Amino acid sequence: MAFAIEARQLTKIYDGKTKALDGVDLRVNPAKVFALLGPNGSGKTTLMRVLTTQFKPTSGEARSFGLDVVESGSEVRKMIGYVPQETSVWADISGFENLLIYSKVYGVPSSLRKKSITDALQSMGLEEVAKRMVKTYSGGMVRRLEIACALLVKPRVLFLDEPTIGLDPSARKAVWENLTSFKKEYGTTVFFNTHYMDEADLYSDEIAIINKGKIVKSGTPSQLKHSLRSEILQFRSNHNSIDENVLRNIKGLAVVRDAIISDSQLDVFVEDGEFALPLVIEALRSEGVSIERISITRPTLDDVFLKYVGTLSFGRGKG
Amino acid sequence: MTADDSFREMLAMIELEMRRLRHDRTEIYTRAIQPILWLSVFGTVMSQVRGIPTGGMPYIDYITPGVLLQSTIFVSVFYGLTIVWERETGILKRLLVAPASRWATVIGRSVASGVRAVVQALIIFPVAVLLGVKFVHNPLYIAAAFLVLFLVSGGFAAISIFVASLMKTRERFMGLGQALIMPLFFASNALYPIELMPRALQYIAVLNPLTYAVDATRGLLISGDLSSLAVDVVAIIVFDVVIFAVASVSFKKIIE
Repeated sequence: MAFAIEARQLTKIYDGKTKALDGVDLRVNPAKVFALLGPNGSGKTTLMRVLTTQFKPTSGEARSFGLDVVESGSEVRKMIGYVPQETSVWADISGFENLLIYSKVYGVPSSLRKKSITDALQSMGLEEVAKRMVKTYSGGMVRRLEIACALLVKPRVLFLDEPTIGLDPSARKAVWENLTSFKKEYGTTVFFNTHYMDEADLYSDEIAIINKGKIVKSGTPSQLKHSLRSEILQFRSNHNSIDENVLRNIKGLAVVRDAIISDSQLDVFVEDGEFALPLVIEALRSEGVSIERISITRPTLDDVFLKYVGTLSFGRGKG
Repeated sequence: MTADDSFREMLAMIELEMRRLRHDRTEIYTRAIQPILWLSVFGTVMSQVRGIPTGGMPYIDYITPGVLLQSTIFVSVFYGLTIVWERETGILKRLLVAPASRWATVIGRSVASGVRAVVQALIIFPVAVLLGVKFVHNPLYIAAAFLVLFLVSGGFAAISIFVASLMKTRERFMGLGQALIMPLFFASNALYPIELMPRALQYIAVLNPLTYAVDATRGLLISGDLSSLAVDVVAIIVFDVVIFAVASVSFKKIIE
């Protein structure tokens, strides 16, 4: 089975000098949700625009279900849906009319038009506001309408550039709930760019981190978090029974990378918390330490991002 | 991509324009004010002067075709603003990722603007009748005149889309749009015969597509003299084909 998206050594140089993509290698399996994370100016939007046939790459190749995005651009355009970061619906007509115009632009046959518009409205929870002018919509409704327009053709790959930027948490949740159920029903591959780590963590099956035009890390959210190999086991004891002696012994364990005591709390740094925990507990018990409370702190995607990119940036811009 | 896809996209763009117009017609009405002033004030006053050889027709009748065309071309030349706005939003990106050709998008938008322009002219037309302009009575002639209006407006909309693909910002576009319209109008036979112009301006007038459109519509609407209609229509069609090609080629630049 061909990959939904496959990029090999993709580069894009603007005006002969600005290197926006610098040898991107990427594979996305069909029917998965794929998140591309990266700081501003890292090449996220450029990559999406090459994959959606808007730009030709300077070198390298990209395919969608085996079709080359340059050579077979028009076939690729028939099977993808794309929602740019900026507003892409007309505000001076109704939501329904936007869907009607887009259904004609996308070539939905007239016999199926009504049904695909109704389905798209339903998928994005917009049936009740369909007749209203788009200029009366909230930001979240506009975004859902934009996605609905892309769903008209039941695309095999749906590209979303910063799909929830500027939306409040409940609007973001609504967008993702609708998207997730659409994806489940039609097996669409979803490829999205985002700045929101929590969103990538919650909704994606796989993540790639892009920085300076290169993919610096990819994997499932939990693989990425494990890749930092730094989890913290925290032990609290009620009798100040954790002393320097105990600390030395714990540090001596093979699974332990470091340990410190602060405020009668012992912080033990390990690679894999689930594996190390029983060993550390056993060692503490044999030292006669009575443990009152244990917690495991795992790295978040923010930590992962910080490690591979160096900065956390939440601004908006050409990515 | 088939011709069918492209034709469908063109129709969708026309439908879009009609739907927008149905929701909000304010622009069409406010834009009618200026041409109505040209006819009712300038035309009426200049009719008294009788200094311009109009071939026997009243001056207000003489300028009516030109004023109708100016009003439609105004709509077309500023149509590029819509395109600039759609560039700033994501609509153009999205249209370029749809399964239709660039030229279909460009021609579709131009034709859509032509439709809008014809609606504009339809508003001014009855005002001209009320002001006493004597039109040819043959409805076929009138319909043909509107067809000419439509053809030339589409061409000017394509110029506007071409300019939009180069200018890319509203401010620069506005400046150029303003700079384009009045010279086009003055360097044509809309207000006076070409023979009255200085020689240099005459050359410009001969290259100005508006001259042919005015000549054709004046023949069809006012004088009933169709002796040069064929030449005029050929000139307009050549203009359309050339500018549609140029605008289609440059259109992709707009999103880069």
